[in-house]
Amino acid sequence: MTGRLILQGNDAVALGAVKAGLDFFAGYPITPASEILHALVEYPGQVKVLQMEDEIASINACVGAALAGAKAMTATSGPGFSLMQEGIGLGHMVEAPLVIVDVQRVGPSTGMPTFGAQGDLLQCRWGSHGDYFPIVLYPNSVSEIYTQTIHAFNAAEESMSPVVLLTDGCLGHLFETAELVDVPLKTRTARPLGGGSRHFTSLTHAGDHPKATVPSAHQELIAALAAKTAGVAARYAFYEYLPVKGADTLLVAFGAASRAAYHFKGECAIFRPIRIFPMLEELAEIARGYRRVVVIEMNAGQYKLLVEALIHRPVGFIPLLGGAVRVSQIEEGLKKCLQEST
Amino acid sequence: MPARKYLRPERLPTYWCPGCGDGLVVKELAGAFGDLGMDASNTVLVSGIGCAARAPGYFLLESVHGLHGRAVPIAEGIKTARPELNVVIFSGDGDLLGIGCNHLVHASRRDTDLTVVLIDNQIYGMTGGQKSPTTALGVKTLTSPDGNTDRPVDCQALVKAHGSFYARATTFHLPLLGKALRAALTHRGFAVVDVRSQCPVNFGKRLGFKNAYEMLMHFKKAYRPVAGEVDRLGPGEIGITR
Ligand SMILES: Cc1ncc(C[n+]2csc(CCOP(=O)(O)OP(=O)(O)O)c2C)c(N)n1
Ligand SMILES: [Mg+2]
Repeated sequence: MTGRLILQGNDAVALGAVKAGLDFFAGYPITPASEILHALVEYPGQVKVLQMEDEIASINACVGAALAGAKAMTATSGPGFSLMQEGIGLGHMVEAPLVIVDVQRVGPSTGMPTFGAQGDLLQCRWGSHGDYFPIVLYPNSVSEIYTQTIHAFNAAEESMSPVVLLTDGCLGHLFETAELVDVPLKTRTARPLGGGSRHFTSLTHAGDHPKATVPSAHQELIAALAAKTAGVAARYAFYEYLPVKGADTLLVAFGAASRAAYHFKGECAIFRPIRIFPMLEELAEIARGYRRVVVIEMNAGQYKLLVEALIHRPVGFIPLLGGAVRVSQIEEGLKKCLQEST
Repeated sequence: MPARKYLRPERLPTYWCPGCGDGLVVKELAGAFGDLGMDASNTVLVSGIGCAARAPGYFLLESVHGLHGRAVPIAEGIKTARPELNVVIFSGDGDLLGIGCNHLVHASRRDTDLTVVLIDNQIYGMTGGQKSPTTALGVKTLTSPDGNTDRPVDCQALVKAHGSFYARATTFHLPLLGKALRAALTHRGFAVVDVRSQCPVNFGKRLGFKNAYEMLMHFKKAYRPVAGEVDRLGPGEIGITR
């Protein structure tokens, strides 16, 4: 489908996924992500949808379906994303291409189910145990959700790994006019299950041989995973950079928070990473041109920590907590950051 | 032997302890594949984590060795995506009836066309002999030094709640096990074959069995085969229910 429609973000995920060739969806109802499940049951004969008993079952079913050759996806919010973490590690270990949509809500725990947040950033990078190198994309409009969903599938196919599409409760339930722009699709080269004798194992392995007591086998496996995802991620280096003449402050924001940050585009430059992970080297480069870098995010300082590590200097921070995204809050925060750094 | 073509003898010796029952079940399943003439290129094995879950690695078939307790949803994903594949699960009592019990109940409710081979050694074998969901009352294990007080899970009751196929056998009653596996593999819908098996190292020794042979002789005495197909198996009965 291409053209202009009025849609909510969650529906754009479903449309993008179908456009990308989704065959299989497994999920469990959760606010504010359920509309994705609701939309996908409307494609009988095209998308096989399983409503599972929980999110653990959902992610594992996706790994199975992906190895069996399907383009697979699941969608959830914080509580379900937490439950999925072990299964996400499995997906990386057995190299199962799939897409996990996390429509973030306020946490921890049950938190504020109907309010958007950005509290799952570190979880989507490091939530599963051990070393893995996920590609994570975070659009900020309904149009972009559609295209980035297709990119997420493409990145999964190219990297043979689980890719996270982050949105948030604000975007998931945001209705706006969307321009559906298509992206060429990537196809899989790996053979689906059946017809051979491969053994896909969650143990450290070399080829399909378990090597759970050989340090060098593990070192090689991790190096291969790192190199593979880094290579693919380079082709998905999406970001938006809005420079302003004479500005000495660079705002870094993404998702719903970036929509509020746009309000300041006359006075501050804005860098909006869309590929949240691996972090964009472009940000380090661009930040050099600014006296001050300020991260605006809907959590208590997750990406800020990583931006500081990336650019090797202190970064200002404006937290937007409890589902409130107010321009006045950013204004006050900016004033404080200016005082602190003068 | 027609069973041989489904196996991977180059992976021998197995990972299992001497006297373990897991190898007997592998051999019977390969035999059942041979008897039914199953298409190896169309048959996929799935398992979770545990000693029993290592079984797929000894088959010359495509297989997925996933997460503890999650073999069933992985298999459901495979079967839903590719209904033409025969999907067979190997699971342990901890894997299927402890950590993954929720999935067992729901896959049975959905009647997903899967065959589950449960190797029930009544113990967490791989992790050194802790009590499992099927450990009998009063039995002393690493984590029940004064005797187990938790009532064992009734696998048959869970599976039969939704009318799924359920068979029970032991590693002593191999012809019955073979028959149960063939019946389960040809059953359309969710099927569980519950195999009472021996773990002489982490279970039997603590119960006073000197070796695997004594445990097998115990199975011979403790279990009574029931002919034909019945609605339900009583305690101590082995056979096929449909
Ligand atoms: C999430 C998780 N928790 C715990 C473990 C540790 N663990 C590995 S195998 C196992 C028990 C296996 O028991 P069972 O399923 O009965 O198989 P057996 O080894 O007896 O054949 C446990 C607890 C794990 N691998 N993953
Ligand atoms: Mg066991």
